[in-house]
Amino acid sequence: MRRSPELRPNLWDGLVGLAVLLAAVALGLRLWLPGGSGALTAVIRAEGQPDERVALSALTEPQERTITAGGYTLHLLLDREGAEMTASDCPTQDCVHTGRITRSGQSIVCLPARVSVTLEGGAQDGPDVVIG
Amino acid sequence: MKLTTRQLTLCAVLTAMALALSYLESAFPLALTVPIPGMKLGLANIVTLFALYALGPAQAALILLARCLLGAVFAGNMSALIFSVMGGAAAMAVMILLSRTGRLSVYGVSVGGAAAHNCGQVAAAVLTLGNGAPLYYLPVLLGVSLVTGAVTGVVTACLFRALAHTRLLSN
Repeated sequence: MRRSPELRPNLWDGLVGLAVLLAAVALGLRLWLPGGSGALTAVIRAEGQPDERVALSALTEPQERTITAGGYTLHLLLDREGAEMTASDCPTQDCVHTGRITRSGQSIVCLPARVSVTLEGGAQDGPDVVIG
Repeated sequence: MKLTTRQLTLCAVLTAMALALSYLESAFPLALTVPIPGMKLGLANIVTLFALYALGPAQAALILLARCLLGAVFAGNMSALIFSVMGGAAAMAVMILLSRTGRLSVYGVSVGGAAAHNCGQVAAAVLTLGNGAPLYYLPVLLGVSLVTGAVTGVVTACLFRALAHTRLLSN
């Protein structure tokens, strides 16, 4: 054996864990906090196709889109509140299991089909508090 | 790199074990509870971490490369190769660096490797999709890597304790 590792956890291990945790929190704050102004918009990206932007607040009724990409067919349901992949014939089904997304920054990703749906905008405009 | 028959045999056995662990973790339907693309328990990292200490970085890298290539061939999914290679290479690089500090136990090295593995896989997803949507999952994956890295560290430590009483890895 070249060398035996230290087998008892120590303070330095705790620091590595803390660094990973802090990185997760910092990234979460950066990526998950609502960003962008304007109406909540779903950005649909599929390989080899132009990006499609759908202003969700402009929808008067739920709309189902069929996306064909990468040899797979995905069914996306859009409404004023968010988006959801209702069905897909991809092998992993991660996109369907992601469920409904409703906040800016959230994404549905289907790696086999190389399709992503990301919500943008939706931040409340105007003052946070009115005094007096 | 010149390998003795003993080293070559050990590399082959560890590669087979890594492949078996990769197959085993596909039996856990993790996506049903945490629907994150590419999320895995990272059981095969036990072998990578063990090989890093027991055989050294060069042979551990060979085992990793063989596992990624054979895993993609056996699964019949060559498009998954970029994910396993980028995740594995990132984990290997970070574990080599952390182990060389001489301050960390196997647990810290394992947690660092698990976090790097997830970063590498998300980077592969970003490259595959051509946009940053997979980054949304990175904070969760980093949090999960604290658990998976600790589990990998515990198993690897148990392995070294068990083998300390044998002559399997003695020079």
